[in-house]
Amino acid sequence: MQGIAQDIPLEHFVVVSSILFSIGVYGVLARRNAVLILMSMELMLNAVSINMVAFAVYTAPSLFVGIIFAIFVITIAAAEVGLALAIVLRVFRNRGTANVDEVDTLRW
Amino acid sequence: MTQIFFDIMAATAIVGGLGVVLVRNTVYAALFLILSLMGVAGFYVLLSVEFLALVQVLIYGGAVTVLLLFALMLTRTRDMFEGATDGPQKPIAAVVGLALLAAFITMIYKTQWPRDVNELTTVPFNDIGTALFNRWAVPFEIASGVLLVALVGAVVIAMQEEGEP
Amino acid sequence: MADAWVLPALPVAGFVLLLLFSPWLPRKGDWLAILLMGTSFGLVFPIANDVADSIGRGGFHGVEVSREWFNVQGYIEIRMGTFVDQITLVMLFVVTFVALLVMIYSTGYMHGERRYGWFYAIVSLFVASMLTLVLADNLLLLYFSWELVGLCSMLLIGYYNDKQSAAEAAKKAFVTTRVGDVGLLIGIIILFTQTHTFNIQEILRTAEEGGIRREWLTAAAVCMLSGAVGKSAQFPLHVWLPDAMEGPTPVSALIHAATMVVAGVYLVARMLPLFEVVRGMPELITALGLTTTMLAAFIGLAQRDIKRVVAYSTLNSLGLMFVALGSGAVGAAMLYLFTHAFFKALLFLACGSVIHATEEQEVDKLGGLWSKMPITAPMFIIGALAMAGLIPLSGYWAKDEILVGVRHGGLSDVVIITVLISLPITALYMIRVVLLTFFGPAKDAHVHEHAHESEPPMSWPLVLLGALAVVSGFVVFEGVGKALGFHSGWLGFIYNPAEGPETYRVNWGLAVSSVALVVAGLVAGLWVWGGEAEPSKRAGAFSPLVYRLFLNRFYVDEAYQLAIDYVVLAAGRVIAVFDRAIVNDTGVNGTGETTWFLGWIGKYQQTGRIPNYALAIVVGVVVIAAVAFGYRA
Repeated sequence: MQGIAQDIPLEHFVVVSSILFSIGVYGVLARRNAVLILMSMELMLNAVSINMVAFAVYTAPSLFVGIIFAIFVITIAAAEVGLALAIVLRVFRNRGTANVDEVDTLRW
Repeated sequence: MTQIFFDIMAATAIVGGLGVVLVRNTVYAALFLILSLMGVAGFYVLLSVEFLALVQVLIYGGAVTVLLLFALMLTRTRDMFEGATDGPQKPIAAVVGLALLAAFITMIYKTQWPRDVNELTTVPFNDIGTALFNRWAVPFEIASGVLLVALVGAVVIAMQEEGEP
Repeated sequence: MADAWVLPALPVAGFVLLLLFSPWLPRKGDWLAILLMGTSFGLVFPIANDVADSIGRGGFHGVEVSREWFNVQGYIEIRMGTFVDQITLVMLFVVTFVALLVMIYSTGYMHGERRYGWFYAIVSLFVASMLTLVLADNLLLLYFSWELVGLCSMLLIGYYNDKQSAAEAAKKAFVTTRVGDVGLLIGIIILFTQTHTFNIQEILRTAEEGGIRREWLTAAAVCMLSGAVGKSAQFPLHVWLPDAMEGPTPVSALIHAATMVVAGVYLVARMLPLFEVVRGMPELITALGLTTTMLAAFIGLAQRDIKRVVAYSTLNSLGLMFVALGSGAVGAAMLYLFTHAFFKALLFLACGSVIHATEEQEVDKLGGLWSKMPITAPMFIIGALAMAGLIPLSGYWAKDEILVGVRHGGLSDVVIITVLISLPITALYMIRVVLLTFFGPAKDAHVHEHAHESEPPMSWPLVLLGALAVVSGFVVFEGVGKALGFHSGWLGFIYNPAEGPETYRVNWGLAVSSVALVVAGLVAGLWVWGGEAEPSKRAGAFSPLVYRLFLNRFYVDEAYQLAIDYVVLAAGRVIAVFDRAIVNDTGVNGTGETTWFLGWIGKYQQTGRIPNYALAIVVGVVVIAAVAFGYRA
C-alpha cells in the first residue's frame, strides 16, 4: 500500500471524518433513548480517531502521535461507555424510562 | 484500486452512521453501529495501521457493542417499539448537523493541503509498542487507572442494594 | 484691647457651666450667670479707657489682634481674632450692660419657671455670640456668631415650649432670618473669591481702592445687605419680629430690642465703606429703612397687645437706623442704637412688669394702672416719650442727629420729609398705648384689682434704664464727653478726624420742626385717646378700611403664606413627583424589578432536558468555530 498517498489525497479522509462527525452530532441531538445517544457519541469518537490517524500517517509517520491518540481514544471510549451505561441502568431503575427527555425534574 | 477500496469503506462507515441515527428499532441501530465501526477499521487497514484495526474490531465490535446491546435489553420499556425514538429536536438537530458539516467542508476547501507527500511508510508494530511503554508510559498508566475506576464505578453505580428497585 | 476676647469667653463659660451643673446649683445658678456677665461688663471700662487714650493720641483706626487658625499652603490663610474700634466699643457696652440688667430682672420675672437654669444658660450663650459678632475681625467668625445668635434667639422665643404659638414663632423667626443669612453667606463667599481673605479691614481697603470688580461687588453688597435685612427685621423680612414676642419679656428686651436686631445695623455700619462704593446701595438701604419705619408706625397704631406695639416701635426705630446709615451718618445711627437700647429695653421690661402684675397683655383688659403701679407707670411713660423723641429726652438728640445726617447725606428730599412725617405718627401710637394702659377707666375690674407693683429685682432696673433714657442723649455735648473721659462729644468719638463732623452743631430749622411735630402728635393722641369715651372705637371709626389694613399688618404675612402655598409648596410637589417617579420607582424599584424580570425570563432556559443542553453546547461550538475560522480567513 505504499502508493496510496498519490491515490487518495488527505482531504478525502478528513471529509469522511467530518461527515461521520456531523452524523454523530445529529444523532446526539435527535435521539430520545439514552443508549442510542451513546451510540452516536461512539460515532463521533471514531470520526475523530480517523482524522488523527490519517493526519499522523500522512504528515508525521515517525512520530505516530495520532496512532497512540487513537489507541487511547478507544480505551477511554470503552471505559466511558461502561460507566455511562451503568448510569443509564440506574436511572432506568429509578425513573422507569431510558428516554432522556422524560428525566427533567431539574426544570423551572 | 485503492480508490475503490476507500470508497467502499467510506460508504460502509457513512451508511452505518446514518443507520444508527435514523432507524426506529434500537437493536437495528446497534447493528448499524457495528457496520460503521467495521468501516472505520477498514480505514485503518487502508492507512496501514493494522494494529489499530485489530484493536478497533476487538474492542468496539466485541466489547462495546455487546455492552450496548445488554443495556438496550435491560432498559426495555413496553413502548420500546411504538414510541418515537426521535425527540422533538429533530429538525433543529438536522439543521445544526448540516451547519456543522457545512462549516467543516468550507474549512477543508479553504485549506492548503500539502501536495508533496511522497511515500507512506508503514509503521512497525514494535515501535508502537516501544513508544507506548517509553514515551507514552504515563498516559498509558493513567489510562489503565481510568479503566479501573470506570470498572469499579460502574459496579458501584449499577449495584442493587437490599430492597432497592 | 488685646484681651478683648475675654469678654465673650466669660459668658461662654457661663453657658457651659450652667448647662452642665444648673440643676445642682443653688437657685439653679442664676447668680453664676449674673456674676460672669457683670465681670464682662466691668471689663468694658478698661477697654473704653484704652480706646479713649488712643483717640486722644490721634488717628485711631481700630486695633486688630488675631491668631492663625488654618493655612492652606499659603493659598488660603484664615485668621481668627478681634477688632476693636469705636463702633465695637459702643456695641460692647450696650450688649453687656443691657444683658446684665435683663439677667437681674429675670430673677424676678422668670422666678419659678420650669426651665430657669436653661434660660440663663442660653442667654449667656447668646451674649457670648453677640459679643463675638461685634468683636470679629473676619467675616467667617462674624458669620459663625451671626448664626449662633439666630439660634439662641430661636431657642429663647420658643421658651414656652408647651405653647403651639411660641413654637411657630420660633420657627418663623429662624426661617425668615435664614433667608437673609443665606444671602449673607453668599456675599461673604463672593467677597472671599474676589479678595482671598475674610478679614474685614482688608476687604474694606480693597473695595475702597477699587480692587473688586463692580458686578461682584454689587452682588456681594446686596447679598450681605439681605442678611442685615433679615436679622434687623427690615421690610420685607420684618414679619418675624412681632411674632417673636411669644418669648418671655426679658428675652424681648435683650434680644429683640437692644442687641440682636441691631446686629444688622452693626453689619451695615461695619461694612459701610464697601456699601458706599456700590452705586445705588445708599438709596436701597434708605428705601428699605423708610419702608420699614413707616409700615411699622402705621401698624403699631392699630395693635391691641402692648408688647406688639412695642415690637412695632422697635421696627420703627430699626428703620430709622437704616435710613441714617443709608445717608452715611454712622455717628447718628450709632447714637440712636445707643440710646434706643436703653429706652426700648426700658419699654419692654416695663411691659413685662405690667404683664407680670396683671397676667394680661391686651389693652382691652387694661387701663387705669397709673395708680396701681407707681414705679412702672412713670418709667413706661419716660420710655414712651423718649421713643417719641420729646426734648430733652435721649430719643430727641438721636433723632435730631439722624435728621442732620440725612440732610447732609445728599439723597432726595423725600427722605427727610418722610422721616419728619414719621415723628408725629410715632408720638401718636406711643401716647395711645400709654393712655390705654395706664389711664382711663379700668376695662377689666378683676385685672385692675389684682394689679400690683413688681418686686425690686424687676423694678429698679426699670428706674436705672429710665434715668439713662433721660440722660444718655447728652453725650452729644463736648462737655459731657470730656467728663466721661473722652476727648470730645459723641460725634468726635465716632468719627475720626476728617471723616465726619467733629462737634455737635444745631440745625435750628430741623430742630424746631421736629419738636413741633412730636408735640403735635402727642397732643393729637391725647385728644383722641384721652377722656372717658371709648377711645379705640373712636379712632377706628375714622376709617374702618384703613384701620383693618393697619390691624392686619398690611396683610404681609398673608401674602407670604400665599406665596409659600402656591409657589414653594407647589414647586415642592413637582419635585416630589420627580423624586417618586424617577428616583424611587425607576431608579431604586426599577433596578430590582428589572433584575427580577431578567431572572424570570432567564429561567426558561433551564428546561431540564438533556437534548436541549446538548444542543446548546453544539450550537456554541459551531458558532465559535465559525467565528474563529472566519477570523483566520
